[in-house]
Amino acid sequence: MIVKVKGLVKRYDKLVALDYLDLEVAEGEIFGLLGPNGSGKTTAINCILSLLKYDKGSIEIFGKPMSADAYDIKKDIGVIMQNVAVFEALTVYENVHYFCSLYIKDKAKVKELTEEAIRFVSLEEYRNFYPKKLSGGLLRRLNIACGIAHKPKLIILDEPTVAVDPQSRNKILEGIKRLNQEGATIIYTSHYMEEVEQICTNIAIIDKGRVIAKGTKDELKSMISIGEKITIETYQGNENMVNELKAFPNVFSVELRDNRLEIKSNRGKNNLVHILDYLNKNQISFGRIVTELPTLNDVFLEITGKELRD
Amino acid sequence: MMFQLYKARLKCLVRSKENIFWSYLFPILLATCFYFTFGNLWTFEDYESISIAYVSEGGQDDALKMAMEEAHTENGTPLFVVNYTSEKEASKLLEDNEIEAYILGDSDPKLYIKNNGLNETIIKSFLDSYRRTSITVQTILNNNPKALEEGLLDDLMEAETFVYEVDNGKRPDVMLIYFYSLLAYTCLFASGWGLDEVINIQANQSHRGARVSVSPVHKMKLFLSNMLAAITAQAGGITLLFIYLYNILKIDFGDSLFPVIVTCMVGSFTGLALGAMVGALGKGKVESKEAIVTAIVLGSSFLTGMMIVNIKYIICKFAPFLNYINPAALITDALYSLYYYDSLHLFYINIGILSGLTVVFGFIAFLGIRRKTYASI
Repeated sequence: MIVKVKGLVKRYDKLVALDYLDLEVAEGEIFGLLGPNGSGKTTAINCILSLLKYDKGSIEIFGKPMSADAYDIKKDIGVIMQNVAVFEALTVYENVHYFCSLYIKDKAKVKELTEEAIRFVSLEEYRNFYPKKLSGGLLRRLNIACGIAHKPKLIILDEPTVAVDPQSRNKILEGIKRLNQEGATIIYTSHYMEEVEQICTNIAIIDKGRVIAKGTKDELKSMISIGEKITIETYQGNENMVNELKAFPNVFSVELRDNRLEIKSNRGKNNLVHILDYLNKNQISFGRIVTELPTLNDVFLEITGKELRD
Repeated sequence: MMFQLYKARLKCLVRSKENIFWSYLFPILLATCFYFTFGNLWTFEDYESISIAYVSEGGQDDALKMAMEEAHTENGTPLFVVNYTSEKEASKLLEDNEIEAYILGDSDPKLYIKNNGLNETIIKSFLDSYRRTSITVQTILNNNPKALEEGLLDDLMEAETFVYEVDNGKRPDVMLIYFYSLLAYTCLFASGWGLDEVINIQANQSHRGARVSVSPVHKMKLFLSNMLAAITAQAGGITLLFIYLYNILKIDFGDSLFPVIVTCMVGSFTGLALGAMVGALGKGKVESKEAIVTAIVLGSSFLTGMMIVNIKYIICKFAPFLNYINPAALITDALYSLYYYDSLHLFYINIGILSGLTVVFGFIAFLGIRRKTYASI
């Protein structure tokens, strides 16, 4: 295991931020830590990085106990923090160079890696810009370049796409996949389930400082009863229709909201054909039909009873 | 690696417009203001005689009249232009601002003024001096009526002083209080750099601090390279101000410049250590810490007379101990001792205490900085 966290407890007075948290990250995976705001993701990362004291538990990275003085471990870790941490008075190039030189002694090597990192995040044409001249998305990309320039074996990204435009977000996610393909192990925290679903090979869902579910995205989805979610636009929906649909075999939930009929059926059972038959027979006109497989939000909803973004 | 980090931090410091203004340009602007505002305040070259009225109703006092007519400044300008008039007329002249004051002359002369100011102070001082002398003469004559014939009053009339100034070519100059205080202020302003450098490596104080704390560089190494950059930036500011004061405004720093430079260096270290200490103590907001540092620097400079020159004397008289714990006072006193005395004894005392304060500030900063893991960030 590249990272092994066991029984981690962190309290802020009476508030329990991490409640016997267990995590294991294997070499070469993109490990997603998914949870709503305030669930303990950043606290967990700060404990892993030895920035925060914790009350109980143990943390091992690369098989060695992690501590603030474990410089031999730190040199192989790249960190991209939630808040952009660059120097306003240094240009894009100088910022990446500075952070790279914290890890690499060889001047020529630092230059080479700096150029490579700038290319990696596609900031070549902004290399002489000062951070305040960059947009939010470009700034996030600079933050990433500063964290990965030294080619670390383990990269920890804490919500790197917050307040980022879709174009930059895609570039960032593609970049993370590329870094992983090049051999880096990634820990990626986010409250955006789509991102975690898109890139992570292994996911831990965290809430109130505890891991409530973990596995691959398919394993997580298989933990819940929802198999398919059908949404139908109709202006003729009524309570009678809802009750009749609920009586269909394998349908366990029907809701009518804002002229949208939302039908959830059990895993592995397809009801679309039967439902369309019902609508035709009863001459109920309808608009768009959307069928969705369960998302991580559904997993979170079923386990905790609340939405990820609540 | 150390040099790379030092170079990057130095770039950060000197590229900050705010830093450059407050540390490089502001002291020069202030020095220029002091020079042109107060430059000629204490010279008698532009002295204008004060218009007063003398009312002799109720018994003329010839001695006072004579004394007023003969009083003059060092360069011979008469101290007063005296109008001899009635009390009613004098009162009207005073009301119309034609005169600064009038004196009602009798055995106990009375002074009437309309406002308070420098001229009124001069008139009052003159009259007080006259009263003291006349009482002394009266007492002597009462005891020995022949004293006048025997020439016993000659010395008194000549008002000879019994305290002599040793002429070492250095005249007491109030202006120096302003310039030396400004130099002390600039030295201590290094606290801003010191604060910045600590904030930038403390994970519980800034995002950058958290970011560099997860790198494999020892925190003390980072602190040292940052402080070296701050020292370099501070040296630039203080050198610029010193050159401006010494070469352009021609401010006198005494005979030897080396101890003056040492004073500026030690003062700057004190400033850096002070800022580092405030930065390393507690988790308070950065803005609050900046406000604390600014208040300390301005407060200590104020107590050395940078804003009101008399403060220096008030502190000396009523709370002299403050001068031993006020870094700005220690810097200015070191500079005064170099200017006024040939011996370096006082200079060494001031620099010694200043160095002691620097060590204490630095040690407290060290205790705060050595922490690497925090309860909360």
